[in-house]
Amino acid sequence: MLEHALPAFLALIDPVRISALLAGMAVGMIFGMLPGLGGVAAVSILLPFIYLLDDYSGLAMLLGAVAVVYTADTITSVLLGAPGSPASAPTAIEGHALAKQGKAAEALGVGFLASMVGGLLGAVVLLFAIPVAGPIVLSLGTPELFMFAVVGLFFASSMLGKNLAKGLAAALFGIFIGSIGPASAEADFRFTLDQVYLLDGLSLTIVALGLFGVAEVIAMLASGGGISGGAVPVTNWRNGFVEFVKHRWLILRSALIGVFGGFVPAVGASASTWVAYGHAIRSSKEPKKFGKGDIRGVAAAEGANNATIISDLIPTLLFSVPGGPAAAIFLGAMFSFGYYPGPRMITQNPDVMFLIVWSVALASVIGALICFAVTPALARLTKLPFALIAAPLVLVMVMGAYQSTGTMGDMVMLLLLGLIGWAMKHADWPRAPALVGFVLADPMEQYFWLSNQIHGWSWLARPGVIIIILLLVTPLIYRWWKARKEMSETSSTDDSRDSDAGDLRVNFGLALVLLGVFVWAFFSSLEFSPDSRLLPWLAILPGIPIFAWLVYQSSKNLAASDKTDALSEIPYLLALGIYVLGIYLLGFYVATVPFVAWMLFGCAGSRPITGLAYGAVIYGLSIFLFGMLRGGPPGGIFF
Amino acid sequence: MIRNKLKKLAVVGVAFFALEAAAVDFSGKTIEIVVPFSPGGATFVSAKFLEPYLEKHLPGNPDINVVDRPGGGSILGANWFEKNAKSDGTTILFTTSSTANPFVLGKKGVEYRLADYRIAYSHPFSAVAYTSPGTGIKTAKDVKNSKQPLVYGGIAAAASDLPGLLSFEVLGLDVKSVLGFKGRGPARLAFAQGETNLDYQFTPVYLTQVVPSVAEGKAVPLWTGGAVDSEGKLRKRDPIAPELPSVYEVHKQLYGKEPSGIKWQAFEAIASVTYAYGLTAYMHPDTSQDILDVFAKAANDINNDPAFQAESKKVTNGARLSAGPETEKAIKGALKPSPEVKKYLVDLLTSKFGVKF
Repeated sequence: MLEHALPAFLALIDPVRISALLAGMAVGMIFGMLPGLGGVAAVSILLPFIYLLDDYSGLAMLLGAVAVVYTADTITSVLLGAPGSPASAPTAIEGHALAKQGKAAEALGVGFLASMVGGLLGAVVLLFAIPVAGPIVLSLGTPELFMFAVVGLFFASSMLGKNLAKGLAAALFGIFIGSIGPASAEADFRFTLDQVYLLDGLSLTIVALGLFGVAEVIAMLASGGGISGGAVPVTNWRNGFVEFVKHRWLILRSALIGVFGGFVPAVGASASTWVAYGHAIRSSKEPKKFGKGDIRGVAAAEGANNATIISDLIPTLLFSVPGGPAAAIFLGAMFSFGYYPGPRMITQNPDVMFLIVWSVALASVIGALICFAVTPALARLTKLPFALIAAPLVLVMVMGAYQSTGTMGDMVMLLLLGLIGWAMKHADWPRAPALVGFVLADPMEQYFWLSNQIHGWSWLARPGVIIIILLLVTPLIYRWWKARKEMSETSSTDDSRDSDAGDLRVNFGLALVLLGVFVWAFFSSLEFSPDSRLLPWLAILPGIPIFAWLVYQSSKNLAASDKTDALSEIPYLLALGIYVLGIYLLGFYVATVPFVAWMLFGCAGSRPITGLAYGAVIYGLSIFLFGMLRGGPPGGIFF
Repeated sequence: MIRNKLKKLAVVGVAFFALEAAAVDFSGKTIEIVVPFSPGGATFVSAKFLEPYLEKHLPGNPDINVVDRPGGGSILGANWFEKNAKSDGTTILFTTSSTANPFVLGKKGVEYRLADYRIAYSHPFSAVAYTSPGTGIKTAKDVKNSKQPLVYGGIAAAASDLPGLLSFEVLGLDVKSVLGFKGRGPARLAFAQGETNLDYQFTPVYLTQVVPSVAEGKAVPLWTGGAVDSEGKLRKRDPIAPELPSVYEVHKQLYGKEPSGIKWQAFEAIASVTYAYGLTAYMHPDTSQDILDVFAKAANDINNDPAFQAESKKVTNGARLSAGPETEKAIKGALKPSPEVKKYLVDLLTSKFGVKF
């Protein structure tokens, strides 16, 4: 088998093929950096071009894109705080906090290197896919897959933050929106309000963009021409390397978690990223530092997400079952070239297997190098007035959201979730648990239902399940025992609760609205069959008292609230709403012109000539990108 | 020169016989093929597979653009087509029974009038049933004497699993259907892991993934859905796997008589749109017959194209396109089942699978 390694490498470094790989990487890096557009968009946009090339070049092009998306998204996440892709949300939390402390170079350096390690590990595992990964994938039945989701949820509990009620509220909200759409086996369609749009449930991209991206962009617009964040110096990579070496084992463990996430069909990079992030928190001696800028969060998340998207290719190549959405498109491309991945792939097309491994490995290394090279230039962009950066970002986010179904529903949903994400930010609710809850809700329900259908309750006695339960419970018991011992020695609780964190009025409003939604959801869930009720009730039953408590708690001191940040940002939210309404009525072409003009002249205070030129460029580019992605931007009712 | 003149003469001649048909020319035009599923899915791949042949054989060599519009279990993309399709043959909805079944069953949210659409061409999408050796089943005849309870893994009753589930009803099998998998791929993995022991896979996947397992003794092929015979009945063996009996034949083997009654009628209607006309290209209701004729001719030319034959031999064991009035009639008939069949389907789905309408 290994004798095919060298010929495949030589075949890949043919000038045309290596150019195809680099071109794919360029697209992958751009899409990785653009929030809302990730691997799927990059691969879709390349798809028409690969048919112009030979099979090796075409596949190399797609793999180049896939392998660098999760390296490049680190840049956006760290510098702007808006996740470049859903799976880099932890990087946005920790990395951006570090950037604000002037440690952007450290966060970026660790992020790039961890991504590279993740990609390389993924490539190695791919290489040994047949003897090693194949049996592992086949030994994972639905009960074991369910237990993986439980592990994820367990780790998510470490992200709840200092205010338990708010953390739980966020997580339950995430599970609730994860239950929108079809219940397992599609017997019930839950909370769809008779909208076809909601029949498939919500799109991960839109949830991630809404919860994290919109709030950041609004804050950027509101800070207008100012550069209050200050320039982010990215010059000294040394600390990054030092931190990388320091956390090498954490990165390797996270990459392994990521590889496992890739084995499991339908559990995407986001889930394993959160699991790795949760693992970093759990294994840390000072978990309180997380959320305020901890390099270990970046290391874990970036190590995991890149490993997942590469090892997504394992079930794809071994069983023709795509491990994720980008892998699904890659599989389609392989079909088109006449390759039918399956158990025979390694014997029938060893050259292609090696081509894939080499492409991924090369792209991972070169991608990290390119990221190091371009970042100093990109970091200089942060010296620009925030509103100037925000303007194209808003358009890109609208575009990214629109890729989900290509209907107006995408934009409305982005706006709604954006409003909630914005409110959560100002009410000081942690947003990570909401995204984790959303990501895990679906696999949890699906695998629980399938396990019970196939095995009855006997699945609880399967060896794999017992091993996972023991792995979960043993550290808990150990910790509890240790904590008890320590408690008897010192009884100090200096954890003063800062109850004034967050805007109380926003907190009150958010909790009240969600309380209303949950009460409505409870009554509407009574019509579901008992099986379909399980997941929503997991969120609703504890959710109603928690929201009620938050409403009561924040109503007490409502008058005393003196925060004005949220109030000053409301006009910007309204403007975004008007823009979406404008797209609905007038179409993208018309509505975007006044909106961009408002952002540039109203918010950023651009001078007429430069503003006009800059506006024309981003307007033209956005229309060009739209055309490439989905046959043109949406038209409105009147145009 | 002479050849040129002859060519012109021939053109005039054709134009004489079919004054309007000759006017259909797609040169410089783009035909948009809307696939209401994600790129990378079987339907999208099939559309891409046919793309170069359509470009080659349609008059004027139009540019074909395959666009994915996933969502709502294909309803969103079909609704988009209902609102935006042009009647000049440049917009096509290329889809499967996942779009047809919600329409036939009258589900909520369906805005498209599928039975009014014209049919440009269709490609079969047959499926093969197979079981695991652990059941002790050697051929379709033994299927009622399984040593283990039969467990089938599927996605959702009211979608593409419907014909498979109906075939179990027709054959009177006691099958535990576990629905809720995210795709036929994960369901196939569950079969490989031994969690299920009865499975259906569509032909390309069967040929590339299951046939190797059959060779290794890990899977036992049982039957195909069958193919439509000259009388429009679903009785023939499927040419894709001619060694396997059709559901019709298996019924005869098991019960000594041909299947009939409401269960068979329901299976025949649903299985026709799922298997025999599995991938169908729909056009706007006002599309003229000339345009349809042009597509029928192109489909015929593609079937005779040696390059197509060689490629389709590899992927679908030589499945061919069908088009023309017969095909259109058959599909439209299947899209408008009798009220009894519709009632039977709704009752079965409600009572046995808990589907809500």
